[in-house]
Amino acid sequence: MKRFLLAATAALVAGPALADMTVEIPFTAEIAGAPFACTESYAGLGSAETEVQFLDFRLFVSSANLIAADGTRVPVALDQDGAWQIENIALLDFEDGTGSCANGTPQVNTTLRGTVPEGDYRGLEFEVGVPFDWNHGDPTTAPAPLNLTAMFWNWRGGYKFVKIEFSPTMPSGMSMAAEGHSEDATHGQGPRGWMLHLGSTQCAAPEATTPPSEACANPNRIAVALPDFMPGESTVVIDPAVVVAGADLTQNTPETSPGCMSFNNDPDCNTVLPRLGLAFNAFPAEEQMLVSMR
Amino acid sequence: MAPLLILGASAVLAAVFLPRDEVPAETVAARPAILDAFRWPMPAWMPPPPVPDDITVTPDLVDLGRHLFYDARLSVDGQTACASCHQQELAFSDGRPVGVGAHGTIGHRNSPSLTNVGYMPTLTWANPHFTTLEFQALVPMFGTEPVEMGLAGQEEALFARLAADPYYAEAFPAAFPERPAPDLYTITRALGAFQRTLISLNSPYDRATYYGEADAMSDAARRGQALFFDHRLECYHCHTGALFSDNLQTARTPFPENAFHNTGLYNIGGTGAYPAGGLGLYEFTGVASDMGRFRTPSLRNVAVTAPYMHDGSIATLEEVIRHYAAGGRTIPDGPHAGAGHENPYRDSLITGFEISDAEIADLTAFLESLTDQDFLTDPAFADPWPDGHPANANRVMPLN
Repeated sequence: MKRFLLAATAALVAGPALADMTVEIPFTAEIAGAPFACTESYAGLGSAETEVQFLDFRLFVSSANLIAADGTRVPVALDQDGAWQIENIALLDFEDGTGSCANGTPQVNTTLRGTVPEGDYRGLEFEVGVPFDWNHGDPTTAPAPLNLTAMFWNWRGGYKFVKIEFSPTMPSGMSMAAEGHSEDATHGQGPRGWMLHLGSTQCAAPEATTPPSEACANPNRIAVALPDFMPGESTVVIDPAVVVAGADLTQNTPETSPGCMSFNNDPDCNTVLPRLGLAFNAFPAEEQMLVSMR
Repeated sequence: MAPLLILGASAVLAAVFLPRDEVPAETVAARPAILDAFRWPMPAWMPPPPVPDDITVTPDLVDLGRHLFYDARLSVDGQTACASCHQQELAFSDGRPVGVGAHGTIGHRNSPSLTNVGYMPTLTWANPHFTTLEFQALVPMFGTEPVEMGLAGQEEALFARLAADPYYAEAFPAAFPERPAPDLYTITRALGAFQRTLISLNSPYDRATYYGEADAMSDAARRGQALFFDHRLECYHCHTGALFSDNLQTARTPFPENAFHNTGLYNIGGTGAYPAGGLGLYEFTGVASDMGRFRTPSLRNVAVTAPYMHDGSIATLEEVIRHYAAGGRTIPDGPHAGAGHENPYRDSLITGFEISDAEIADLTAFLESLTDQDFLTDPAFADPWPDGHPANANRVMPLN
């Protein structure tokens, strides 16, 4: 054992032949091409062309690789900053707690920061989501950023991979409730918010507080490939407008979660998850339309 | 010496986060200085609460805070201690709709449980400016609207009263060697330190969840747990994490998380208004959409903290569940009449749901499984003063 440790130490000291270089991968949030801000309203979203404000805009990304000149995938070793990045997982947080993002945090995080071996790279791949091995741990004891309650989902079901929340506003500034735009006879009101919560579903486990032992039936992690991404030049763009373009943000199917929260009983996800590159019930996956670059 | 202060030799080496059951039982008669390091009364899986930079938690400081917490001499009528609205058997709440202060003054808010209060990034039901227990302590002591302990303008008399007590004559210098007298700084720091030790993480839910004792929870409680964490009821969206609240700050979280919600409790005249004196975050921001937004309470020990809501206006857990099932409370007549579900500022996650009586019973059983009997009876949190002492002889308690 001792010999093994010594050998391992020697290997670490010897280090890689190539020096590492730092990389910072910038992300930006946009709504139909306009810069995202908690203090702005955005017109024309969803199939009913609703004007909305935002309540939240956060997502987890993981397993980022830059593509080397020879085509090999080179993992970005994320800085372990004790706040936003842990292992190969990072929380991107575009809301700043102002305006309509009332329960947000002032702190924002809009880049991935890490190192790769010196080299020429073109192309970026990553996943939107938390890897299975980390997704079903105990969120109450996890390290940052996996200990932020805002991204907790239903205990061992894992985290909200994407938390983008809209609040429809009427052009008059009146609430939807006052305008009576609702067909929800049970509760008499339309939705106050339309929440896009993406996470793994149908994760078999004996209790809500015990982890699944096998992969969830619907992992719902989004694979993103941006082959033209140039480190130092390109920016990754997160824009949910096209993803929700087929959903009526003024309506919610009764007795389902407000908006689309990934659950298989919710028809409000029918047009949404496919555009995240994910199959949903009988609706096949399309190309993911949440993430692009420029 | 309080049981909290029992420290063994291994504590010197083993840091301050030993699980409760690993604490050596023997006491140390002559305590080396290093043993003054405080050991949080908590399991290893939970990070300790954050502590302001100017405070070093020591057993002496906590012990002083506990004596102050139970001392009715901290009030203008000599009958009102912190404990007069925060009784241990009730998880440091008081069982009344709203608190009662000195001279029987009726308060404005339901006395909140102090369970795990050190992890709350803001204090009280809705004030975003109370970010430390030390600052918040000034309000019950010196506030006048309403009077709680009624000490406004009385501080010199208070300091003299405390300085004359033989216990305090030793305890203040022990806790504050550099600043050995009772004053606003030392009193509030000690009260804050004691309150941070009020950590409750040993309920049947915890034993089932963290210690593998599945039988600790009844079948009904486990059915209720499945409902609680299911998206149909959405309970967990706000009541999440170790505290069952979306407000949390620990020594390991990178920054505090604050969340306030309008749950559709009122909608006076259809305007969204809440009753005067209980407007929520709006009182402090003046922003219309902050009307009726209150901090999400922890659900730990919730079964012993009735009545519920910021104004104690719901008597039982069953009624609370029915309130959420309806997606808001409708008050048919009277000065507060209005349909809470139609409150324009109601939180978008309060949508309502259908639930059977049997499911309500199961969900209630789950909420009852969050009751930590050890916390309610732990002698480390109990009144340290002997019966009949001037600190408690005239003290009024909610349960007598």
